Amino acid sequence: MTTEPKTNPPLGRVIVITSGKGGVGKTTSSAAISAALAKKGFRTVVIDFDVGLRNLDMTMGCERRVVFDFINVIQGDAKLKQALIKDKRVDTLSILPTSQTRDKDALTKEGVEKVLTELKADFDYIVCDSPAGIEHGAQMAMYFADEAVVVTNPEVSSVRDSDRVLGLLSSQTKRAETQGAEPIKAQVLITRYDQERVDRGEMMTVDDVLEILAVPLLGVVPESKAILKASNVGTPVTLDGPSAASQAYNDAVSRLTGTQVEMRIQGERRPGLFQRLFGRAS
Amino acid sequence: MSQRYARNRHDRAPATVAAFQVRGRFLTALVLRIDRDSPDDAFYAQLDEQLRTTPQFFAGAPMVLDLANAPGLREGDRIGDLLAHLRNRELRVFGVQNAHGMDDAMLDRHGLIPVTTGRDAPLPRNAAAASGAAPAADVPPPVQNKVIHAPVRSGQRVVAEHGDLTIIGSVASGAELVASGNIHVYGTLRGRAMAGCHGDEGAHIFCQNLSAELVAIAGLYQTSETLDAAALQRCTHIYLKDEKLCMEVIA
Repeated sequence: MTTEPKTNPPLGRVIVITSGKGGVGKTTSSAAISAALAKKGFRTVVIDFDVGLRNLDMTMGCERRVVFDFINVIQGDAKLKQALIKDKRVDTLSILPTSQTRDKDALTKEGVEKVLTELKADFDYIVCDSPAGIEHGAQMAMYFADEAVVVTNPEVSSVRDSDRVLGLLSSQTKRAETQGAEPIKAQVLITRYDQERVDRGEMMTVDDVLEILAVPLLGVVPESKAILKASNVGTPVTLDGPSAASQAYNDAVSRLTGTQVEMRIQGERRPGLFQRLFGRAS
Repeated sequence: MSQRYARNRHDRAPATVAAFQVRGRFLTALVLRIDRDSPDDAFYAQLDEQLRTTPQFFAGAPMVLDLANAPGLREGDRIGDLLAHLRNRELRVFGVQNAHGMDDAMLDRHGLIPVTTGRDAPLPRNAAAASGAAPAADVPPPVQNKVIHAPVRSGQRVVAEHGDLTIIGSVASGAELVASGNIHVYGTLRGRAMAGCHGDEGAHIFCQNLSAELVAIAGLYQTSETLDAAALQRCTHIYLKDEKLCMEVIA
């Protein structure tokens, strides 16, 4: 055992990772956040809600181990235990992959609720990787959430879509529909942030984004080559070697679990003097 | 009506496919409101000037005449002369609105259709509802102001059907505010705000920071492209004066 599993009763918190816009880093963030949670010792499961466009299993590096999936469980063709894939690197982490052959209509509210209820009995954190868009699949992913991480790129269309999603989180979810329930705790995670481009005025600043979205900031993940590299080899960036992105995700996860961490925005390490002098020639 | 056509078709050629298809069609037309009873040379000079400055705007566009402010033109055949002048200028007049009391045969002769405006033809009401609420028709509904203490997100639409709308928070681009009365935004207005939606020209819009996609009062609107540059991103009061949207920076 690499980590000490918690023995107290599971927290059973459902966190949805969503954004509205595609390609902003939902799946990458889901993988990184769930791996970081598990590394901290929380029993964590990450569920792929992107039915028909299965990606999470590849990002997590377990695509060859998928036998049964989320949809099989919803339709009663398989038991939850059969579909859950235990991560080989962190033993507190499990993955519930989705189907590549079905479509999003296979997700039913009752089915999703049943699976989540069952998972809540065993896990501290249930991370739901939402598909892009605001249609049925995304709505199913957010409906039962307790917390939301809204992934945004510092760019106007992404911010506007995130704003739309924040509106849905506060109106089309179980917590919103239940009288007297505490609203979903939504936080924004800014990804692909490039300090140099911000300095040149080519990219929105963190303050610009927060001014529009008006929700707390969970973290700022810099644009980093480590992300694509980790994703290509099927490793969540937080389990890969040290990088600015991994650091940012770890900080974000600390904040998610209630630890105060100072907000630091790092870019990739600045090239040293020698690299700057000689790097160009090569 | 459709039955009659169906029968005719079957009588003549039972085995052919339908020779036509009936479809609904909405179309946008220009409305030219005539503000004097007897259009004179000055009127036509103004019109020519308008046509010269924005020729593309009028080219080929279907046009409706509004006689609300020119009751004199409704009498007899006085509209014929006006029509001849307009059609000479290649304006495609096909209809006339606010034309109560005009002779249908005469309109027909000029190739005009009477177009009903919302006020001319109230929507047919449910008989049961009408009998119950008949006396209330003229009494305005009680004012119900609305206060929203949260940001209005993109894609959300907040409507204050009978009263003022106050937002404490900002209004995102892609969000929409509609009120029959005034609109107040204590935050940045990036979306759309439509005050006086039932035609109240005395409605106002106030916002702490004007970055709106569109503002409208009683149907008269301006988009972000035409907003007064001096008011952009300022605390602004928007109101209607002489059928023009005015923007006043108030802080």
